[in-house]
Amino acid sequence: MVMAEQLIDGRIIEACQQGDRSAFQLLFETYKDKVFSIAVYSSGDREVAEDVTQQIFLKLFTAIRQFRGDSEFTTWLYRLVVNACRDEQRRRRRWLPLSETVSMSNPGEKKPQEKQYARLEVAEAVRAAIGELKPKFRLPILLKYIEGLSYDEIAGVMGCSKGTVASRLNRGHSQLARRLSHLNNPSAWGE
Amino acid sequence: MLSRHVTKDISAYCHGELSSEDSKRFAEHIISCARCRTQFEEVKQGIKLAEQLPRLSAPEHLWRELEPLLAKQAETRVAIRPTLWMWRVQMAAAAALVLVAGMVGLWLYNNRVPSIRTTKPSWQVKRLDGTPRIGSERISNSGQLAVGEWLETDGNSRAQIAVGSIGNVEVDENTRVRLLETHDTEHRLELARGKMSARIWAPPRLFFVDTPSAVAADLGCAYTLEVDDHGASLLRVTSGWVALELKDRESIVPAGAACETRPGIGPGTPYFEDSPAAFREALKKVDFDGDAGVRNAALTVMLNEARPRDTLTLWHLLARVNGQDRVRVYEKMAMFAPPPPGVTREGVLQLDHQMLETWRHALESSWINGGGKFVSKPVAEAYWRVKNGLSRRLKEMAPK
Repeated sequence: MVMAEQLIDGRIIEACQQGDRSAFQLLFETYKDKVFSIAVYSSGDREVAEDVTQQIFLKLFTAIRQFRGDSEFTTWLYRLVVNACRDEQRRRRRWLPLSETVSMSNPGEKKPQEKQYARLEVAEAVRAAIGELKPKFRLPILLKYIEGLSYDEIAGVMGCSKGTVASRLNRGHSQLARRLSHLNNPSAWGE
Repeated sequence: MLSRHVTKDISAYCHGELSSEDSKRFAEHIISCARCRTQFEEVKQGIKLAEQLPRLSAPEHLWRELEPLLAKQAETRVAIRPTLWMWRVQMAAAAALVLVAGMVGLWLYNNRVPSIRTTKPSWQVKRLDGTPRIGSERISNSGQLAVGEWLETDGNSRAQIAVGSIGNVEVDENTRVRLLETHDTEHRLELARGKMSARIWAPPRLFFVDTPSAVAADLGCAYTLEVDDHGASLLRVTSGWVALELKDRESIVPAGAACETRPGIGPGTPYFEDSPAAFREALKKVDFDGDAGVRNAALTVMLNEARPRDTLTLWHLLARVNGQDRVRVYEKMAMFAPPPPGVTREGVLQLDHQMLETWRHALESSWINGGGKFVSKPVAEAYWRVKNGLSRRLKEMAPK
């Protein structure tokens, strides 16, 4: 989707700022999966994540007029996403562990092969373990692995130093490895 | 340890976020620091797990539900109709999205079909002698070994493989190797038969070689690995360290040492190549002979022949023998190198993991340096007298 993101240039953003809904739909189509993924992994609930995603894009529709281009648009957008997720957390008082019923695959998808199934099992375990991390360790991991941001970009989104990002990722990775130490055996990965 | 610990930089190193100078310093430190190496393993495993996190797809109905809300919000704003250039941009965008979707589809399809080479990462192979083959193709001077492909040499040919940017492997005559995997956190070869020499200059556990009877994990080193027609292998380390693993069985082999493996058993016990011949012969029986009586007698020979530096072998044997044999091994080791503070006889005999690791770390420098740091037998005996006396007194003082 890098190519799709490249389509979001100054003219599209300007059109969005002037209220052009076609341009905004393009923006939505480009970023919806990333925003939704962060919302799901943050809230642990698909329905809540749908609401949060809608709220983010509703807010973006208005707030985009305030975007002045001082930072990258994506940094600005992810800051909005992170803040919305934090607000949701405050509203619900705590970040709930991801529900066991949250499935990563879409309904109607074909049944995976045995190896793919093992990998999906691992992915489910990772998802659950990430849900148990503290938000300050979880968010850098989501920004790194879902959004593919660099440490500098994550620092920009989270409003902290690059060193803090490195440190939080380190601790997040360690906690993940400890919580999922039973997956150290390659056979658990379908290999 | 002269340089500072690098644990806080591990994720940044793995993600390529360190400068080249810091990366070099990191790699040099981690090869020599067991503490940072342990942490490196953990973080690397965490990264491997996090990489499994998939991006999810937003449900299709989201936009349908969002549109009326946007319209409501737009009532307070002046909406601007799309201009002609906007329409063109949208058309171009739609076309590009279709193109992206097509490319993604093609990529996914290619990954399901092993015969398509262009989508797979590969290593460069250089001919050293004769005409080695990749698959069925002979290579004249150089070629590319893609994931899943075999490189084969006959009695007159040899080849060299560039292992990404982290080292190289020389493939000897009559050898068959396959590239199994290559990416940032793991490079893996399979050695089905023959002999290869690896020289790796990367942090530990980035380069692995699968053999029929064990997996050789590079810990920053140079080594040769041979596999015979029955799947048994012999590892000889010339610098650094290599771990040989099969399921729960692991042998850690330093420079100057060797280790044999057998199908169905896994890695045997490592030994220094300059150890007495009788010691090595006896070790082979302890490791692989099916008769308990033969193994017991061989252990006696080993313990008689062992030199202080052979604590490398004895340390590994602790977990591989039982009952009274373990006590005998422990006592011989303790005579050569008393356990460090915090490591007790009871703990070692019960195979307390932490204590075994602490003792190993204390012994490692002597395995590398040739035994210069070992205490003499009289000093060791004096140490034990004091330590046992102190333990007894502490027991007496403890509240009943």
